[in-house]
Amino acid sequence: MLEDIQQLVLWAIPAAPLLSAIVTALLGKKVLKGRSHLPCWSALAVSFVCSLVLLFGVLPGINGTGNGYARESIVFGFEWLHVGTLEIPLQLRADSMSAIMLAMVTGVSFLVSLFGSGYMHHDPGYPRFFAAVSMFVFSMCMLVLSNNFAQLFVFWEMVGLCSYLLIGFWFHKPSAAAAAKKAFVVNRIGDFGLIMGIFLIWTNFGSIDFLHVLSSQEVISHVHTKSPHVIPLICFCLFLGAMGKSAQFPLQVWLPDAMEGPTPVSALIHAATMVTAGVYLVARCTPLFVMAPNVQMFVTAIGAATAVIAALTALTQTDLKRVLAYSTVSQLGFMFMALGCGAAGTELVTPAVTAGMFHLFTHAYFKALLFLAAGSVMHAMGDIIDMRRFSGLKHALPITHWTFLVGAAALAGVPLLAGFWSKDDILAVLYEASHSKEHGLFFGTILVIACATALLTAFYTFRAYFMTFWGPERFPEEAGDHPHEATPIMAWPLRILAVCAALIGLAVGPTHLFASYLHKTVGLTAPEAHGLHWNIMALSTVIGMAGIGFAWMFYVASPGIPVAIAKAMKPLYLVSQGKFFLDEILFVLVVLPLRGIALIATLVDRFLIDGLIDSVGALPGMLSGYLKRLQSGLVTSYAGVMWLGAVVVVVIALILT
Amino acid sequence: MEWFQKNPLALAGLVAWIVGILMLMPGRKATSVRIPRLGLLVTAAGVVLFCAGVGGRGPEFANEVMFWTFAVGALLCGVLMITARNPVYGALWFALSTLSTCGLFLLQSAPFLAAATVIVYAGAVIVTFLFVIMLAQQSGAAAYDHRSRNAIPVTLASFVLLGAITLTLHKSPPAFSKRDLKEEAKVEVAAAAPPTGMMMVSPDNLPKEKPASKPNQLSLETAKLPVGSMKGLGKSLFGDYLFAVELAGTLLLVACIGAIAIAPRREEGAL
Amino acid sequence: MTPEDMRYLLVGAGLFILGAIGFLTRRNLILMVLCAELMLHGVSLSMVTFGRIHQTNEGQAFTIFTLTVAACEAGLALSLVLALYRKSHSLDIQLWSELRDPDVPGPKPDEPETGSGATGSSYGEIPTLTVAGPAPLEPVAGGR
Repeated sequence: MLEDIQQLVLWAIPAAPLLSAIVTALLGKKVLKGRSHLPCWSALAVSFVCSLVLLFGVLPGINGTGNGYARESIVFGFEWLHVGTLEIPLQLRADSMSAIMLAMVTGVSFLVSLFGSGYMHHDPGYPRFFAAVSMFVFSMCMLVLSNNFAQLFVFWEMVGLCSYLLIGFWFHKPSAAAAAKKAFVVNRIGDFGLIMGIFLIWTNFGSIDFLHVLSSQEVISHVHTKSPHVIPLICFCLFLGAMGKSAQFPLQVWLPDAMEGPTPVSALIHAATMVTAGVYLVARCTPLFVMAPNVQMFVTAIGAATAVIAALTALTQTDLKRVLAYSTVSQLGFMFMALGCGAAGTELVTPAVTAGMFHLFTHAYFKALLFLAAGSVMHAMGDIIDMRRFSGLKHALPITHWTFLVGAAALAGVPLLAGFWSKDDILAVLYEASHSKEHGLFFGTILVIACATALLTAFYTFRAYFMTFWGPERFPEEAGDHPHEATPIMAWPLRILAVCAALIGLAVGPTHLFASYLHKTVGLTAPEAHGLHWNIMALSTVIGMAGIGFAWMFYVASPGIPVAIAKAMKPLYLVSQGKFFLDEILFVLVVLPLRGIALIATLVDRFLIDGLIDSVGALPGMLSGYLKRLQSGLVTSYAGVMWLGAVVVVVIALILT
Repeated sequence: MEWFQKNPLALAGLVAWIVGILMLMPGRKATSVRIPRLGLLVTAAGVVLFCAGVGGRGPEFANEVMFWTFAVGALLCGVLMITARNPVYGALWFALSTLSTCGLFLLQSAPFLAAATVIVYAGAVIVTFLFVIMLAQQSGAAAYDHRSRNAIPVTLASFVLLGAITLTLHKSPPAFSKRDLKEEAKVEVAAAAPPTGMMMVSPDNLPKEKPASKPNQLSLETAKLPVGSMKGLGKSLFGDYLFAVELAGTLLLVACIGAIAIAPRREEGAL
Repeated sequence: MTPEDMRYLLVGAGLFILGAIGFLTRRNLILMVLCAELMLHGVSLSMVTFGRIHQTNEGQAFTIFTLTVAACEAGLALSLVLALYRKSHSLDIQLWSELRDPDVPGPKPDEPETGSGATGSSYGEIPTLTVAGPAPLEPVAGGR
């Protein structure tokens, strides 16, 4: 009985969106038209329900295996590849971590698809949008459900593809097409690392199955003792993939540009789900990362650098969606910061992963909420998103205002809201790591950076909030005479997400529901019962409130201060506004040398290789140039050649006889 | 090669022939329509020398005279024909060459063939050619008639072929002639001698005591009849080759229809 | 085979190669057809001779067929020549070399007539008839 439900549930989760994608793609343009959202809605609803069944029904019913804690449900599909000793079956595997991810992914996607049907109304690409979203949800579910690295890689690429398609949804806009290409190309750099890591795993472990690679501590230690440098290398390569997908420094440049896509897409893919795939990958490979403390510290350092750089950039951006995009990058940095804390001591591994995944979980809700609210603003303002062109929207858009406020407060870490608990977890883990003997100084520094970033986060979030919703009421002319509040189909997802953002942290964080559920994943251990870090909580509350207060002071009480500061620290302001010139630096450091190589390759190809090939090709032409003169078209010359042949034959016959 | 060393006359004849043809041949540039007499002389000398050089003198004087007349005539007229500036003259030289060839046919005891060739060629073909020339080229010799293409290489190559044929014929005569050369010589004397100077060869005045040649598998029945007799030829044509004759008639009909179909209509403004 | 027969064979070969030389060097379509006929003569003579050598009638019978085919060939060739003439108003074989590659040079064009041999009427030294009766209205070309 359990087996059957297990099978059904596991298959239904990815199958429903796949079916929806196929149906919408095939019938959308001709048959469904304005009803294209229906397959997507129903499929995502089915997936969501199944995920919940999986989360609360199926998995708790499975007895732990392996180390006594891990519980997982594996469903065999079919054998996909069997080459030599390499066997790649298509399997679905659910454990606690996947189940949480699935519930989050399908839930948020369902709400986003509701919102999207209102937001994308009247768009000519309406069916295309829902087909791509369904495809994305399918790919993301398969990615999370993968049981081996090959399957993970395939769907890792497929979510990238869907992201590409959706960023370039309005492909007739050159900026959108360029952003889509940029996202794709930058992700390739990370994917190169990922596939190298998979190759390394294959050569060293002899298998790419999660069960084999991750579940057994003996295998990992065996490999580690055999060649101690391999596992750090593998981890580094995998993290490189995660850096690309999760937009970590210095590969984060694609994510702000990805805001060219429709706002629901930004909410779903570039805030809540796809970008967290990197975090998921690192968390999933915790058993490997444990063996490589240096890489873990590298992860933390990269996370911290990303977090602070993105936060500093977000301070001066005027595009509401870009502020949110940088805050996403920054929050992803937070997650990686947490994930690396296992370096400080093995007892910290489980809290670290839990904190990272918890932040991932809560972040998905409040960031999706923020994006959707921003989309609602954009919808009302006639696709204008520049915060300098509107202000004081709180009376015109009350629902959007309140939901955005909830999301912003959650992000800023206002106590009791979702972001508060997860950020507090991260800070707590960092705090504990800073007490370790070995790397205490390192993690202490990271803790300081994290606190500063938290302050900045609260500040820029509420800067955006105050600039958008407070102050004198101004509308851009594109909005028309009266900006309209979100329609019910857009408002309800906002409300639901606002409730989630407000309560979900409180519901699962301090009650240890999340931690006690997640720790049954492979590689994690049962958490020690540790109390709340009151001191850290107090610190983060103070930090959040301070940030909000500064924002209020700067942008509501005395709006002259930011201008004065910008003038006083002009270079720093410019650096921040120019996004740390990362695009330009990357252009000089990466793009230009590559273009130079491409130029050399072009020259070599055109003149050396083409020359060789062409001359080889020209040789028969040259030779035949003389021979083809025989083919003069003149009867006489043909007869002459025939005659000559006769003469030669007779003379030869004469000589031979 | 040794044969040419032993018969320098033939070689000299060939060389003179080549030189004569080249002198007669219109060059790349327009030349006079008048036949260069020197070239004509050299060619004639060459032809005569060649014919003399290859040897094989016949036993009878009259026969010999006629062979020389016809052979030299055929070859010389052929040379003049292929070098004629004016296509009308070319056609006339061809007629003469045909007549000479018919004389050679007679000497080879093929009187019917000689008559048929004269009738068909001189009577029909040449006349048609002349008609066409006069229709198509009313202004006489055109610019392209005064020029030739690749005269020297073509002539040299062709004469290499002729020399090779000569050598081959002298070097290895066909096997059958080796086997019973003497008997065949007798037969030939017997067959060729009686009709000397006569235009008609009838089976009646052929010597009856002519020994039967060895049976030929191709034509067992007519083998008994003398070569060249009307009866033998008729039996061969309408006996062994009846179908072929019918086919040839059909071919003529088809060619006739084809020629009418291909030739442009008068209303199309052809001529 | 007697040496005498060999002479006939050689005369046949001579006619054959003369025809070939003519076919390959001359540019007048009609002359080329005539040269082909000359080659056929050479072949006919050889076949008659062979028939005599073998003491059979096959040689002559075959020659008659050759004669038939030659007549057909002459008729068809002449009608083809006429058809070609209708298109180009010339009997020059060099005008018909379209089957070559486009980049292969065609036959060289004729050099302009400079010599005295071709000036005036190309009939050259054909004797003219004394005009009997009233003089034609148009003066005879060439002023002879």
